Amino acid sequence: MTRSRAGLGKTLFWGGISALFYFGLFYYAEEFLHLAHTTQDACAVTEGMDTLYYNKTTPDLCVAKGGSFIKGTWWFVFAPIAVAFTLSFVHGVATGLFWDRLGMKAKK
Amino acid sequence: MELINFIEINATTAIILILVGFVGGLVSGFIGSGGAFVLTPAMMALGAPGIVAVASNSCHKFPKAMVGVFKRHKYGQVDVKLGLVMAVFAEAGVLFGKHVMTGVRNSFGAVGTDLYVSAIFILTLAIVGGYVYKDYRKLKAMDDLADEKQQLTRLARWVQSVRIPGTMFYSRGAQAEISFLFTIPLGFGTGFLSSAIAVGGFVGVPGMIYVLGVPAIMASATEMVIATATGLGATILYGMEGAVDIRLAMLILLGSLFGIQLGAMGSTYVKDYEVKFTMAAIMLTVLFSRFFYIPGYLNKLGMMEPLQESTLHILKWIGDGVMFVALIVGAYTVISALLRGMKEHRERQSVSARESASD
Repeated sequence: MTRSRAGLGKTLFWGGISALFYFGLFYYAEEFLHLAHTTQDACAVTEGMDTLYYNKTTPDLCVAKGGSFIKGTWWFVFAPIAVAFTLSFVHGVATGLFWDRLGMKAKK
Repeated sequence: MELINFIEINATTAIILILVGFVGGLVSGFIGSGGAFVLTPAMMALGAPGIVAVASNSCHKFPKAMVGVFKRHKYGQVDVKLGLVMAVFAEAGVLFGKHVMTGVRNSFGAVGTDLYVSAIFILTLAIVGGYVYKDYRKLKAMDDLADEKQQLTRLARWVQSVRIPGTMFYSRGAQAEISFLFTIPLGFGTGFLSSAIAVGGFVGVPGMIYVLGVPAIMASATEMVIATATGLGATILYGMEGAVDIRLAMLILLGSLFGIQLGAMGSTYVKDYEVKFTMAAIMLTVLFSRFFYIPGYLNKLGMMEPLQESTLHILKWIGDGVMFVALIVGAYTVISALLRGMKEHRERQSVSARESASD
């Protein structure tokens, strides 16, 4: 008895959701970088188009560098974890459907 | 003040990360060893400092391992109890290992972590890769039939015979009652290595096989339970240091979730020794590649006579090339095992269908 393959519509739907999440991640890349660098106290220094984040800083050191001091928020650490959980679920479903659609199966 | 640099990501870097992630996932799904021993060095080759490579890889590792656990649990390959027991001690190892890493960073900066990560890679890959290769040779030399019942090492036989009251639990993988005390050094070592190079499986998988007597395929699947726990632990600890680059992690995840499912499927078609061959081949190739990066790190830390820029450039180029070979070896081994296994399985099924039709 042959097993049926995943429906094309379902595969495309989950693939589309996954693509949307990835687009969102890179559209808001700057914001995510900000969250990553400010889990501890940081000094944001603008150099041209880029913002550099220095850690192990104090307000005085930061002012001397010409940057703006940002107090650290430890629970920003959960931002990448939440993104990782979400994408692993959505993208996991999409990739599973993808291989199933192509007829790749495990040995029973 | 200290700057932890996140690399610039353009289209080329993104495509490389996705492809590297795919191969890492393939290898990980197949042998259960995180795949990070190609991913961590690959990210460092792209310019990420050692601590960022390990931190971001941990953030990619835990969701990918979670997907792997669900898939391989469906195939009956996961010993959940053993995985959870080892995960507890692995977290202690992660805490200690992160402390060492940040100590290195505080004393020697991000370049110091490059050297630290590479040194641990070389040591671990040499010991484990060499041992697994020796074991593969031994198994291959035996008749295929003999491989159906895995030969326990003397150490595993002894471990399974030890009875320590109040510490025993039944391991589905080992098919024996074992004392959790034996899992302490294995779990702690897995966690420490996980936070040093984002590859705990180098201790965990061979440890389960050779010390506890768990078959290779179950050891690699059970390792994913530990990898989920240590990956999450390391992500939180390194995230607090500002070292997790979610863009790197998710680009690798994009490729690796395609790869891990193929790798997991491939693992159902192969014999134990084929898994060991794949492990050994890739480990030893990556080991070889790491040697070419060491002079560059020593040079940047001022720990050796200054080298010419062109010499450093050539060494890095060779190192990248050997890494590339490791990726190709990994991908080829897993995909060919899967396709060959599927073809043989289909042929066997059509032969038995023809035979039952003619009865």
